[in-house]
Amino acid sequence: MTGSAVCQTSRPIPDAGCAIEARSLHVYYGIFRALKDVDLQIERQKITAIIGPSGCGKSTMLRSFNRMNELVPSCRTEGKVMFRNRNIYDSGVDPVEVRRRIGMVFQRPNPFPKSIYENIAWGARINGYRGHLDELVEESLRLAALWEDVRDKLQQSALALSGGQQQRLCIARAIAIRPEIILMDEPASALDPIATLKIEELMRELAERYTFVVVTHNMQQAARVSHQTAFFMMDADRAGYLVEQGPTRDLFTNPRDRRTEDYITGRFG
Amino acid sequence: MSRKLVTLYTLLIVACAAMACAEPGSTTGADSGPLRAIENKGSDTLVNLALAWAEAYMNLHREISISVTGGGSGTGIAAMMNGTVDIANASREMKAEEVAAAEANGISPVEHIVARDAIAVVVNPSNPVDRLTLSQVSAIYSGQLTNWSQLGGEDRPIVLLSRESNSGTYVYFLENVIRLGRSESQLLFSPDTLLMPSSEGISVEVRQNPNAIGYDGLGYVTADQKVIALAVDAGMPYVLPSVATVNDGSYPVSRPLFMYTAGEPEGEIKEYLHWILTEGQILTGELGFVPLQ
Amino acid sequence: MHNSRWSEFAVESLIRVLGFSTVGLVALIFVFLLREGLPVLSEVALPNFLGRAWYPTFGSFGILPLVLGSVLVTVTAIAIALPLGLATAVFVREVAPGWAREILKPMIEVLAGIPSVVLGFFGMTMVAPWVRQTLGTATGLTAITGSLILTYMALPTLISVAEDALDAVPKSYRDAGLAMGATQWQTIWRVIVPAARSGIVTAAMLAMGRAIGETMAVMMVTGNAARMPTEWDALLRPVRTMTATVAAEMGEVAKGSTHYHALFAIGIVLFVITFAINMTAARAIFAKRRRGGLR
Repeated sequence: MTGSAVCQTSRPIPDAGCAIEARSLHVYYGIFRALKDVDLQIERQKITAIIGPSGCGKSTMLRSFNRMNELVPSCRTEGKVMFRNRNIYDSGVDPVEVRRRIGMVFQRPNPFPKSIYENIAWGARINGYRGHLDELVEESLRLAALWEDVRDKLQQSALALSGGQQQRLCIARAIAIRPEIILMDEPASALDPIATLKIEELMRELAERYTFVVVTHNMQQAARVSHQTAFFMMDADRAGYLVEQGPTRDLFTNPRDRRTEDYITGRFG
Repeated sequence: MSRKLVTLYTLLIVACAAMACAEPGSTTGADSGPLRAIENKGSDTLVNLALAWAEAYMNLHREISISVTGGGSGTGIAAMMNGTVDIANASREMKAEEVAAAEANGISPVEHIVARDAIAVVVNPSNPVDRLTLSQVSAIYSGQLTNWSQLGGEDRPIVLLSRESNSGTYVYFLENVIRLGRSESQLLFSPDTLLMPSSEGISVEVRQNPNAIGYDGLGYVTADQKVIALAVDAGMPYVLPSVATVNDGSYPVSRPLFMYTAGEPEGEIKEYLHWILTEGQILTGELGFVPLQ
Repeated sequence: MHNSRWSEFAVESLIRVLGFSTVGLVALIFVFLLREGLPVLSEVALPNFLGRAWYPTFGSFGILPLVLGSVLVTVTAIAIALPLGLATAVFVREVAPGWAREILKPMIEVLAGIPSVVLGFFGMTMVAPWVRQTLGTATGLTAITGSLILTYMALPTLISVAEDALDAVPKSYRDAGLAMGATQWQTIWRVIVPAARSGIVTAAMLAMGRAIGETMAVMMVTGNAARMPTEWDALLRPVRTMTATVAAEMGEVAKGSTHYHALFAIGIVLFVITFAINMTAARAIFAKRRRGGLR
C-alpha cells in the first residue's frame, strides 16, 4: 500500500486516504449509458454505502471497481478507476490481478457446491498460497464470526448452511485471499433481520482491517453501518450519476442537495 | 388448427383413393390378366445371378413379377419353410435338421441344381504368393500357419477373411477346404478369422490389405484381387478357377448352387425354373458362374 | 363444474395409463427375451455358455469373447469421447462467442443424424486403412477402429447432455470464481465442471448406453472375429461384439434352435448391461440430489 493517491473531494474528508477512486467514469451497455461522469472516492478502512433508487447504476458502479462489468459482452467503460496510483482499466492491467486485490460478496449467498473447508481454501489454492491452509481457513472463518458454528463440520457441504451462515462463509471466502477492498452488492437483501444484523456487525468489526463498499437499497442499513455515503440518481435518459457524497451522518441529517433530502425523507424512490 | 387437420386427412384419403384406382390401371397396360408374383430369396452368392435371371425372364413374360433378395442361404431356406417365399436360393445343400424342420411344417422341399460355382481364394495383388495346395489353405485358415514367410511370401502376418457363418460358402469352405472333405476332421476356422457381413467387405479388405487372404464365389472376384492357383496336393498341377477348369474337373474347389421349392413346382414357378435350366444358363456364364452342361 | 372434474379425471387416467404402458412395454420385451433366451441354459451346459469359444454352427456357444469384445470397444470409445466431448461442451457453452455457438450447435446435431451405415462405410474405407498404416496392425478392422467410429457416434449425445449440465450450473458460481481472482480457465475447470459433474457422468453413461447397443457400424469395422480380447494389444486386433453377433446370425437361425436361443440369451446379457449402466447414471443423479449438491 502506497497510500499516496490524491483525493479530489468537494468536501474535505477527515483522515484523508483514498483506497479507490473513480474519475469521470462512464459505463455503457451497448448504446445505453448506465453511468454518467462519476467522480467517487472510497476512503481506506471505512465503510462506504452506495444508495439510490432502483436502476440508478449502484451495482454497475460497484462492479466497475473490480472490472466485473466486463463479463457483460456489450459493456464499455470510459474514464478512470484509480487503485494504487494506477488506472485499473489501463491496457496493461490484468483484471484477474485486480479481482485478487478487490474481493466481492454478492446479493445472494453463492458458496461453491463443495465442503466448507474447500470453499475457503479454493481461492488460496488458485492463487498459489504457500502457507498453512488449515490455519488460513480457521483464521478466515473466525474473522467472519463463523468458526464457532462450523468448526465441527468443515468437511460438510457449504450448501447445508443457513442463508446467513452461507453469506458469512462468502465473506470469509473473500477475506481468505487477503484483499484490500471488499465490495458488497446488497449483501443482506436475501437474509432475515437477525442474519442481517449479524452481517452488519461483522462489517463494522472487519472495517478495522478492510475497506468496504456496500450497495444497499435499505437506507436504515446505510445509516446504521456506513461511515461514508454516496447517493446516486438517474437522469431523464436513465443514466445514473452521483448526486453527492459525504460522511453518512452529515448526508442523512443535513443533505446539501434537495434531491438527496427528498430521497432520504421518502418523498420518492 | 383442427381445420388444418381436416384438410390433411382429406388429402390423405384422396391420395389413397387415387392410388387404389391407379393400381389396376397400370396392369391393364400389359397384354394379359393380373400380375403374378414370384418371391425369391436366399444366398448372397446367388443373388446377382438370380437378379439377372429375374430381369431377363420378366422382359420375356410381362405378366410375371419376380422379386429377389439376399440374406444368406439359411435365411432363404427358413423363409421358404415359413411359406413367405416361393423359391429359396442356396449355395449349399439343405441340412438334415432343416429338412426335418420343413417336414414338421408340412413342407417337403425339392432341390434344383441351377448352376455351378468355383470358390476362388484371393489375396492382395502385391502379395508374391500365387499358388497354394489345399492342405496349405487348410493350415492357414485353421490358424497353423500365421505368416506369409512360411509360404514363400514376405514377412507379414496373415489376416484371414471369411463370410459370416450364415453363408453357404462358409459351410462349404469349412467342410471341403479346411477339413479337406474328411468327415472325421474336427478342424474349425481359427478364432482370429475376420467374419465379414458381405462379399463387398471381403473384396474391400483384400484390395486394401497386403496381409489379407479371402475366399468367395468366382462371380464376386474383381480384377483388383489376385486369384490363387490351387492344387489338391504338392505333386499335382496348380489350377486357376475358370469355367473350363470347373467343367473338366481340374479345379478342386467347386460346388453346385441350388434353388429349393416347397414341394414340386407348379405353374409359373415350374416354367421359370425350366427356363433357368435351359436358356437362362447363357447368363450364368456371363456373370462368372459355371453353366450346367 | 361436475363436467370439468370428470374431464380432469379422464385426462389424468389417460396419462397414467400411458405412463404405465411404457413401463409395461419394457417389461414385456424383457419377458419375451427371457422366454426366448432362457431355454439355452437347459440346452447348453453352463461352462460351454460362459466359455471362450463361439462357434454356433458347431455347438460352441461361449459368449465370453462377445461380452468382452463389446465392453472393450465401448469403454475405449467413451474413454476417448469423454475428454473430447467435455472439451467441446465447455467450448460451446463457456468460451465460444455467440455466432460460433450458433454454427456449432446445429452442426453437432447434424453429426447425430448421420446413419450408422454411412459411418460404417466411412470406417471401412477410410479409418481402417489409416489404423493399419499408422498403428502398424495386421488389419485395419480392429477393436480400436470400432472404438473410433463409436466415439464419433457417442459425441453428439455426450456433448449435448454435458452442455445442458454446464448450462444448469448457476451463473453465481461463475461470478464467485471470477470475483475471487480466478482466471476463466480456473473458474471453468475448478468450479463449473465439478459443479456439473453429475450431469457429465450422466452424459457419459447415456453415451455408453448408445455405444454398446450400436450394431451396423461396429459390424462393418471390427472384423467380427470371435476371439478373446485379453492380450495387452487386444485393441489392435479384431473383435466381435454382442450386437454384431446377433445381427449377423439372427437371419440364418431356425426358430427354436439352440443357436436361436443363444442369440436371445446374448440379448438378455445386453439388456442387463444397458440397464445397469442406466441405473448407475440414475444413481449418480439421485445421490447428488440427496446431498443437496445439485444447484
